[in-house]
Amino acid sequence: MKIKHLILAFGGISLLAACNLDEYPYGFYSEDNFYKTEADAESAVNYIYDAINYIEYSRSIVFLGDMNTDDMEPKGDAAAANKELDGWKINNFRTNTTLGNFYKYSYITINRANAVIKKVPGMNIDEGRRNRFLGEAYFMRAYSYFNLARNFGCVPVHTTPVETLEDTAVPAAESLDAMWKLVIEDFKTAGTLLPFFAAPETGRADRAAAYGMLAKAYLYIASAKEHGVPQYAAMSHDVDEYYAEAVKYAGLVVDNPEQTVFRFDDNLLDIYDVERPAGPEHIFIMSMDRTGESEGQYSKISKMYLPYVSGATIYLKQGDSDEMVPTHDGWGEYRTALSFYDAFAAGDRRHDWLIVDKVYDAAGNVVASTADGKLSYPFCRKFIDPNFAGDKTSTRPYLLRYSDVALTYAEAAGPTAKAYELVNFIRNRAGLGDLEPGLDKKTFRERVMDERRFELAFEGNRCYDLRRWNRLHTDIAEAKGQGLTAEQMVFYPIPSVESDLNPNL
Amino acid sequence: MKFYLIVLSLLAVCLWGTGNVRAQSASRSMTVTGKVVDQNGAAVTGASVVVAGTTKGTTTGADGAFSLTGVAADARLTVNFIGYKTQTVEIGGRTSFNIVLVEEATAVDEVVVVGYGQVKKSDLTGSVASVKAEKLTDIPANSIDGLLQGRVAGVQVVNSSQDPGASSTVRIRGNSSLNGSNAPLVVIDGFPWGDAGDLKQINPQDIVSMEVLKDASASAIYGSRGANGVILITTRKAQENVTRITLRQQTTVSGFSSELNLWRDPVLMAMLSNESSINAGLTPTYIGATNANGVYYPSIAELQTTWTTNTRWDDLVFRSTPVSNNTTVQVQSSNDRTMFQASANYYLDNGMYIEDTYRKYGGNFSVEHKLLDNLRMKASANITSNKRHNNGGLAYWRNPIFPVYDDEGDYWLYGAQDYSHPLALTDLQKNDSKGLDIISFASVNWDVLPCLNVMAQFNYKHGEQITDKYFPKKYSERGVFNDGYGSIDNWKDDNIVFEAYATFDRTFAEKHRLTVMGGYSYENYQSRSSSLAAKGFINESLGNENLAAGDSETYSIGNSFYKTELVSALTRINYTFDNRFLFTFTARADGSSKFGSNNKWAFFPSGAFSWKMHEERFIRNLNVFDVLKIRASYGISGNQGISAYQTLSRYGQHKYFNGGKWVTAIGPGYQSGTTGQDGIYALWSGIPNKGLKWETTAQVDLGLDMSFFGNRLNVTFDWYDKRTSDLLRERNIAPSSGYDKMWVNDGEIRNRGIELTIDGVAFQNRDWRVGGTFVFSRNRNKVLSLGNAVQTGLKTDLRTGMQYEYYGNQSEQFRAYTNILAVGQPMYVFYGYRTDGIVQSLAEGLSAGLSGDDALPGEFKYVDLYNGDGLETVDENDMCIIGDPNPDWMASLGIDVSWRRFDFSIFFNGVFGNDVLNTKRFDQPSNMPMRWTADNPTNSYPRLNANRQTKLSDWWVEDGSFVRIQTMTLGYSIPFSKKDAARKVRLYVSADNLYTFTGFEGYDPEVGMTGIYSGGYPRLRKWTFGADFTF
Repeated sequence: MKIKHLILAFGGISLLAACNLDEYPYGFYSEDNFYKTEADAESAVNYIYDAINYIEYSRSIVFLGDMNTDDMEPKGDAAAANKELDGWKINNFRTNTTLGNFYKYSYITINRANAVIKKVPGMNIDEGRRNRFLGEAYFMRAYSYFNLARNFGCVPVHTTPVETLEDTAVPAAESLDAMWKLVIEDFKTAGTLLPFFAAPETGRADRAAAYGMLAKAYLYIASAKEHGVPQYAAMSHDVDEYYAEAVKYAGLVVDNPEQTVFRFDDNLLDIYDVERPAGPEHIFIMSMDRTGESEGQYSKISKMYLPYVSGATIYLKQGDSDEMVPTHDGWGEYRTALSFYDAFAAGDRRHDWLIVDKVYDAAGNVVASTADGKLSYPFCRKFIDPNFAGDKTSTRPYLLRYSDVALTYAEAAGPTAKAYELVNFIRNRAGLGDLEPGLDKKTFRERVMDERRFELAFEGNRCYDLRRWNRLHTDIAEAKGQGLTAEQMVFYPIPSVESDLNPNL
Repeated sequence: MKFYLIVLSLLAVCLWGTGNVRAQSASRSMTVTGKVVDQNGAAVTGASVVVAGTTKGTTTGADGAFSLTGVAADARLTVNFIGYKTQTVEIGGRTSFNIVLVEEATAVDEVVVVGYGQVKKSDLTGSVASVKAEKLTDIPANSIDGLLQGRVAGVQVVNSSQDPGASSTVRIRGNSSLNGSNAPLVVIDGFPWGDAGDLKQINPQDIVSMEVLKDASASAIYGSRGANGVILITTRKAQENVTRITLRQQTTVSGFSSELNLWRDPVLMAMLSNESSINAGLTPTYIGATNANGVYYPSIAELQTTWTTNTRWDDLVFRSTPVSNNTTVQVQSSNDRTMFQASANYYLDNGMYIEDTYRKYGGNFSVEHKLLDNLRMKASANITSNKRHNNGGLAYWRNPIFPVYDDEGDYWLYGAQDYSHPLALTDLQKNDSKGLDIISFASVNWDVLPCLNVMAQFNYKHGEQITDKYFPKKYSERGVFNDGYGSIDNWKDDNIVFEAYATFDRTFAEKHRLTVMGGYSYENYQSRSSSLAAKGFINESLGNENLAAGDSETYSIGNSFYKTELVSALTRINYTFDNRFLFTFTARADGSSKFGSNNKWAFFPSGAFSWKMHEERFIRNLNVFDVLKIRASYGISGNQGISAYQTLSRYGQHKYFNGGKWVTAIGPGYQSGTTGQDGIYALWSGIPNKGLKWETTAQVDLGLDMSFFGNRLNVTFDWYDKRTSDLLRERNIAPSSGYDKMWVNDGEIRNRGIELTIDGVAFQNRDWRVGGTFVFSRNRNKVLSLGNAVQTGLKTDLRTGMQYEYYGNQSEQFRAYTNILAVGQPMYVFYGYRTDGIVQSLAEGLSAGLSGDDALPGEFKYVDLYNGDGLETVDENDMCIIGDPNPDWMASLGIDVSWRRFDFSIFFNGVFGNDVLNTKRFDQPSNMPMRWTADNPTNSYPRLNANRQTKLSDWWVEDGSFVRIQTMTLGYSIPFSKKDAARKVRLYVSADNLYTFTGFEGYDPEVGMTGIYSGGYPRLRKWTFGADFTF
């Protein structure tokens, strides 16, 4: 009592001095001094996209999409986390740092998106701009939950920004239905709010991206239920209805006169030309540039795919031509599995042109090849930057290609004329003949699935395709060797750092 | 409310006191005059002359004279002056007096400064140690705090760097904070200056004394900044009626105190290098061939015969005998109303590295004026300008077969990535900083009533620093990467402190003395900084003089601002009963802008009790003790570990490439740190913790003071137990929040120890005086809690169940963290593998649980401690605590001898039982030849192996105990008669770091708090030749 009085007395005197002990931020932004102008809103939207550029996320796309299948191998002294993913060491998955990083950055993206969704509607700015910004925020939130759902199943659901310690721990979605409903609703909202681009904008999403992703989401759960994937089999949706939704929304991208910006790129090599990020194939692509200051702003993704040769500049042949393009060599983290290299059909340019088994010097002499053993593996050259500056490049992970949406349409639709047309374009571009006509739906879908494997190789799709077709436990040697079941592989466990710190799980 | 009551009652009491005087003077009043002198007949100015039992009194003037009117003829006069015994004189009807004051025989009744006041040493209830600066200043120093080393029990000072202008690490009673400062608060003449360790702004020779406040009773008056102890510094002020000019000149010559450990025989170096490569399966270097960089390395045979280059890089890199200088001139003059003092200082510290210098110019001016007899004003200003040309860290260890110049006379490089040519860097690289500091004081001191004094003080401090750097396009790593790199960094800060306090001091009924102090303090601190950098210079002849000449695409700029406010109310109440029982109560309430909005105010109380047992008859009758006093105190103080804005919500910003250009992206969450190997992953923060607050330290202190033999032997003993809780830490939060970390108050650390100080005069006669001081202290540090193990992400040692986390940065050499914080252990213990000699055969290696290259003969034989994992192999679960960098105890001994006009002193300082991680234990020219080979199957050193990934193990841990002859001084004072212009001249020579007794294998075991020795150069031995002239 007495002490309290004394404090009050002291406090009273001090307050007499009219001192205000409140603090005001200086030199950094906070809720108080932000979300005032249209530029603020756009800056907040860019901050959402910026989250996935960090190497914790951008490198994980391949670790979770390709490394864990038989198409790709890690290097001998790869980090333990990536070896565990490759080898399906499921007992270590709860503490796997790559999984933890992917999980964390998905939520960093979600939190940034939630801030925009909370703050931007009340801003007095141009309505068209406001809708676009909100649409992008819904898109990125949906994109993140889509990836969380594919990898982890039911995860904690945040739809408002985290502002206090009490906000940090929320329960997981109560069912897979609820989880996917959130994804679908958000993509739909994004699709409604977003415009179609007049010209592609690298590192930003439009309505085509929203509907393309929405189609992928419908296809994912439709095919997963159809193929009896554990837990998905018990979901409530109608498979055919969802296939039809996938066709509908993919159609809004690939079969829609209003959507003219994105289309097939006629030239296979142009798709992977680092100077053409705004090419017609790239519906959604990360935005990196070699002039950046830190990794994530610039990219070292090229270093991951390329093997070490000598440290000096190496030269690659451009397709069948004699034109050469330079690049640095790499660290050999993402290695092509030989079984996959050999699985391509003869004459497939995606094998001959995009997977390299010989490199040259400036004068055109072979300096290393798989034949002479100086190249430890034939490498994927979808990510090279001839204008690299040291380790810095502008190589950008491809997040949603037109061809992916086209194959999504084809798989969902089955053997329709439009589906054939789309698949055949992709095959012809790769130097292959048409798919045999008159296939039944099941066979047609299987052939589309194969086409996805070759067309989208090393772009972070393979594992998800196997997973929704319930083929992980049958098609991955490391899993089969251990006798893992579909139930053990359908989801990665929620990272322990989440379950330890979130009492609501 | 309560406060006003206190003020009112104080006034009432004072009035009652004056009323009393009137009542007495009703008998017969008269005027008395007199003069107060010391034993030598010199006038004593400022002595208080009080009519006993009343509040009537005066102070003596410049000539020692006083005059009092209206004094009762039968009254007594009490004459008091600091440092002298109190005299009581019966008036007995006389009107004129000549009063001789006798100096206090011992230090017991010195006055010591405590926070917001001063007190007689014998009346101290807390643990306060006092150091006279004059004892320390025979050694020139940039900052006084480094000189406290070994001088005060419980104070640990580490001077790990020998570079010019280097700072010190100062700790009082151990470390107690993980993320806040552990340095004591330095208070200069009442101005709370900041962390101890780098007090370069105050010339040590302008300092009179330092008081170290150790326990909570003494330090809690500094509230939220008192937890690490407080060092009060009193600077020199003019004395009344003295005119004096003092010149102090010191010239210092430095040199290494031990030999450099370098390759002098290139043949041996090359042979061992080749052996190391061959053992690792690599191509040896010295084979008479040109390597990939185009550098020719001779073969061993060539080195033995025709090779002539054998560069002694150390001769080029180090000055042979750097000479440094320290000159101080002080002038003081005064009359009976005004006193002033001025001093100027020039300090030059030439480091061992060529062109590595630190210069400082200082000026100090203070004036004190009596406006009225009871109203004094003081003002002072202290200005320091410092200039550092940093040329440290040059590669004196460079390969001796490398020539200095190539055939064209350019600097010879071993390739484009040679960033260590010492002469090239000396010539072309720039790293200069200039600083300016101003500290000013103004105060008013008003004796409102004889029993009531009011003091108001205003302080202003300004500091600024500008750093210029240029890294050339060739020769320097940064310059090569950036095609030349130039930068300018600006920083300035301003600190305003206003304090006012009133002190009431009165004795009632002769036995009850009450001193009450109440005050208020306001502090406003602001700092700003800006930095400019440019890269890509076409022509680099201007260095960083024209940053705009760099590539405009890559300019980089930054700026920051930092502001804190602190408002405090404080009080101290001393009550003494019969000069036997002393009670002290202090309290401070601190309101800080830094604290979370839900915790703006903090309250820090303390209490202490002391019993002067020597005033009791039964003790006095023993005739043993001159002083026998016990003390007990308990209190709470704080540590403002939080930095400004840390409790606010904070957004991040990052550049995002959009629309073909970089745009600024902004939103919730900012990158607050990194994690993962080499820090490649980002950590995210930004959620505000509105409840964030100070760290709280509760401390118990029990003390005993004793004096014997007519106060010639003094013993002070203290035991303390200090618990710091609410440690400021970052906790992990669920990643689904989008954040990693958040600041919270969690965790507890204890420091417990004993301190003993014995000082005395062993022998004294007309010619001789032999005295000494022995100081001993022992602190036991223990981490009691690191908070919730899950929330803070603690790791668990599987073998012992110990919970721990890493501390500091990863060591490149071991690719591991070297220090940990572990529950139940002292802070910073080393964590690694245990070794059992060297593997002598592959079979032995395999059976020991080693595998791969680790099992080969000649490798370290790591011990497989843990088998709970079912694996009989050496893995990370076999790690254990392999050393403790905290000393078991520290002790020092100082001996002062004077004989006639000679004075001699020697000071030994020792630290015992601390472990040092000697990262250079193997890779040294002295040790590598003792390597394991098939012919020399030693168990002491491993084989040479260029490919080894060495694990951190106890092999690298050494006992860092040492005893140092820290200083030794011999002086001679030349006397002068009154006719001479000079009054006193003293000539002396002193040695710093004369000799070190240690078993440590590196150059010197005095390393930082985490106990990591990483080479450097040998400790310097400094000889100082000094002369003091007083006119």
